[in-house]
Amino acid sequence: MASWRWWRGILITFGLLVAMRFFLPLPFMNEVLVFSIYTIGCNFLLGRVGFISFGQPAYLAIGAYGTAFYLFYFGTNPYLGILVGLACGVVFSFIVGLLFVRLRSDYFALVNLALAVIVFYMFQKVLAEITKGDNGLWFLTNIASTPILNLSRPSEFFMFVMILGVLIWAMYKYLDDTVFGACCLATKLNETKLEFLGYSNFKIRLTAFVIANSTTALAGCLYAIYLGFVSPEMTSPARTADPVVVTILGGVGSLLGPIVGTIAYTGLRDVASKFIGNWELFVGIILVFIMMSNSGGLYGSLEKLLQRLFGGSHEPSPGKSATAVKQ
Amino acid sequence: MPEGSPTPRRLSVEGLNVSRGEARVLFDIHMHLGANEIVCCVGRNGAGKSTLMKSIAGFLAAQSGRVQSDGVDLNGLPPYEVARLGVKYVPQDKKVFSDLTVRENLELGSYATQDYDWDPALTFFPKLKILMDRKAGFLSGGERQMLMIGRAILGSPKVLLIDEPTEGLAPSIVSHLKQVFTELSKRSAVLIVEQNLPLVCAISDRVYALKEGRLVAELTQRDQMKPKVCEDLL
Amino acid sequence: MSVQLLISGVIFGLSLASIYFLISVGLSLCFGLMRIISLDQLLYYSFGAFLTYSVSTLTGSFWLGLLAGVSVGVVLALAVERLIFRRIYERELTFSMITSFGILLGGIGAIKGFWGVVPKPVPVPFDNQVSLLGTDIPLYRLLVVVLAALVYGGIWLFLNRTIIGKAIRAGIEDMEHVEGLGINAARLFTITFVLAGSLSALAGGLYAPLIMVDPHMGLEVLAFVFMVVIIGGLGSIKGTLYSSLLVGQVVSIGSLVYAPLAIMAPFAMMLLILLVRPTGLFGAALAK
Repeated sequence: MASWRWWRGILITFGLLVAMRFFLPLPFMNEVLVFSIYTIGCNFLLGRVGFISFGQPAYLAIGAYGTAFYLFYFGTNPYLGILVGLACGVVFSFIVGLLFVRLRSDYFALVNLALAVIVFYMFQKVLAEITKGDNGLWFLTNIASTPILNLSRPSEFFMFVMILGVLIWAMYKYLDDTVFGACCLATKLNETKLEFLGYSNFKIRLTAFVIANSTTALAGCLYAIYLGFVSPEMTSPARTADPVVVTILGGVGSLLGPIVGTIAYTGLRDVASKFIGNWELFVGIILVFIMMSNSGGLYGSLEKLLQRLFGGSHEPSPGKSATAVKQ
Repeated sequence: MPEGSPTPRRLSVEGLNVSRGEARVLFDIHMHLGANEIVCCVGRNGAGKSTLMKSIAGFLAAQSGRVQSDGVDLNGLPPYEVARLGVKYVPQDKKVFSDLTVRENLELGSYATQDYDWDPALTFFPKLKILMDRKAGFLSGGERQMLMIGRAILGSPKVLLIDEPTEGLAPSIVSHLKQVFTELSKRSAVLIVEQNLPLVCAISDRVYALKEGRLVAELTQRDQMKPKVCEDLL
Repeated sequence: MSVQLLISGVIFGLSLASIYFLISVGLSLCFGLMRIISLDQLLYYSFGAFLTYSVSTLTGSFWLGLLAGVSVGVVLALAVERLIFRRIYERELTFSMITSFGILLGGIGAIKGFWGVVPKPVPVPFDNQVSLLGTDIPLYRLLVVVLAALVYGGIWLFLNRTIIGKAIRAGIEDMEHVEGLGINAARLFTITFVLAGSLSALAGGLYAPLIMVDPHMGLEVLAFVFMVVIIGGLGSIKGTLYSSLLVGQVVSIGSLVYAPLAIMAPFAMMLLILLVRPTGLFGAALAK
């Protein structure tokens, strides 16, 4: 794990991101980083465990609102805010996961979508007293300057998220290498065999579920800090497709896919919105197009290109993607 | 037909190679079936017998090779087209449409060819007459097999591919089926995959032996066909 | 709560159930036969509503609008089935889920582009009220319920008395066997898919006068349709009927008691049912 080879992919990618920071607008870079973290949870669930979730916005919102409540009502330290939001995310994922992971994959997807709608509704109407409903919670001014890295300043926020990103990606890569990682893949490909080997599918799935969705919640916390504002819109039904599109775009199951996918998606969206102005049409077409062409996403194509240029593997190829043809 | 040209076989398989996923299951299979022949294919579990039948019937794609019936290429055709061309497959799973009655099962069998003459099927399996309005899900294993075969022979198929018909059935039903197959061969060419070696040796005109995906023998002489001989081959 | 309120609540719930049923039965059939999750059904629902709006506004006749809505729904479904689904039937469920969601989303974008985002009203074809047990019930709502019941009857007849319907039922059990009998699978799939699309479009057209027609209407109904389908169990028509009725009543009566219950209650119910039966009340097992 300590070897340069192991870290190579991650460090090169993040190194590139730092370089890009000097060419591209800072807000774009910050958005890309946080969105990538949002997506990697979804990517992990789909690529490794085989679950697709149309409800990722729910977990994003839980994390975001957790942080928002803390900063609006209690304190001003953004780091603590992140911790609070993350804790909310972990607890929520665990409770929800107890029921959800028992379900078959199609029910799982649908149920998660319903969850996202419920959470939306809760934050918008039911808890409007404390969430201020559609107006959202504003707490930008509440964020105190902190020593070392002042999160209220975008450039330092960027550095913080960069470091966090490296750690998160390293964590996922590490998981992939462990027995747990292999179990996750096995739970997708052959659950019966796994049970016979003595593993509990349920525990594996639950753990993966909590890890993935806590990461998503963490992204929510980061969004909250970055924007200084949360609103129910982040979990509206229309937004459920975002992480899924990026996952597919970047390549299901690939470690660095979320980053590539996010850059492509955000970039395309910003460019296209000047022309189309109708992002649903755009997202829909991309999604269908990618699904039908099934080339392993952008990262898959990029990977093949790099392999041809440099020979040998740049990143270990992921197992069969979730979209592989049935045997 | 010009003198000297060979009559196209009812079923001819040449150089068939089939893989399931990354694993190759069938290697270079050559087989043929003439009209009115009963040919059995024997082999241990996992030898590739069902894969062979499924490939012929169109349920599995072949990597290479040719499958023809009466000169018509079957490769790449969807299963329902193969069935329409008169090559009918009876799977080994003993499944019938449980929610439908026996009558409705037979109706579906007739639908493709619009041949609603059920006499042949009912002559072979008179018991079906009594069971007409019973939901097929309530039939016993033997009755289901009868229904499956009865359904398949509607429309007078040229070739019948039957996958392990006697597995798990009582001896009385097995001997009944023995007679049925012999009668069937008078109208159709029959290829049966079986593990019941005495039965195979009793009714076959020829026997193919399949071992680990390869055709290891073809027995054409009646005196060759003894259970012991088959066992040794496998 | 007064009796009158309760009765109109029940009728309201029945009309909701009708709409949910029409969309869900299509979803269920598509799953049962083709093993796909066709989220794009909500797009045909939306188009059904929008075409009903446009044509009824143009011609002054609601029924003409409804006819247009269903027709367009049929054409769209046919196009989508031929161009897209036909190539992906062999894939895993998640594949069809994502792809159909993409179609739904893209279609919503198209609707937004064509009709704009402002919600549109569709006038009710007739205003009459009918008196039921001392309560005034809008006749149109009753009509919606009656039509949905007729559709259920029609579907029952189709599946149980016609040979194509029986082939579909047989295909839901085992498609391989159906093909082995020489029956054209591709055609069966197309028929089922287009049927589903037409029912969804009908739902949209019928519901249009009762709500404001807007591009996101498909997404708003999505969660409820999911809950109906999950509770009833994917692949079961009977299950869909019962769960539509159940969810319709829960949403309606629930919202009378305490507004947020409208969505919380069905969700809670769904979770409870899933705890006990992870495939819904009548769900089909996924064993191939």
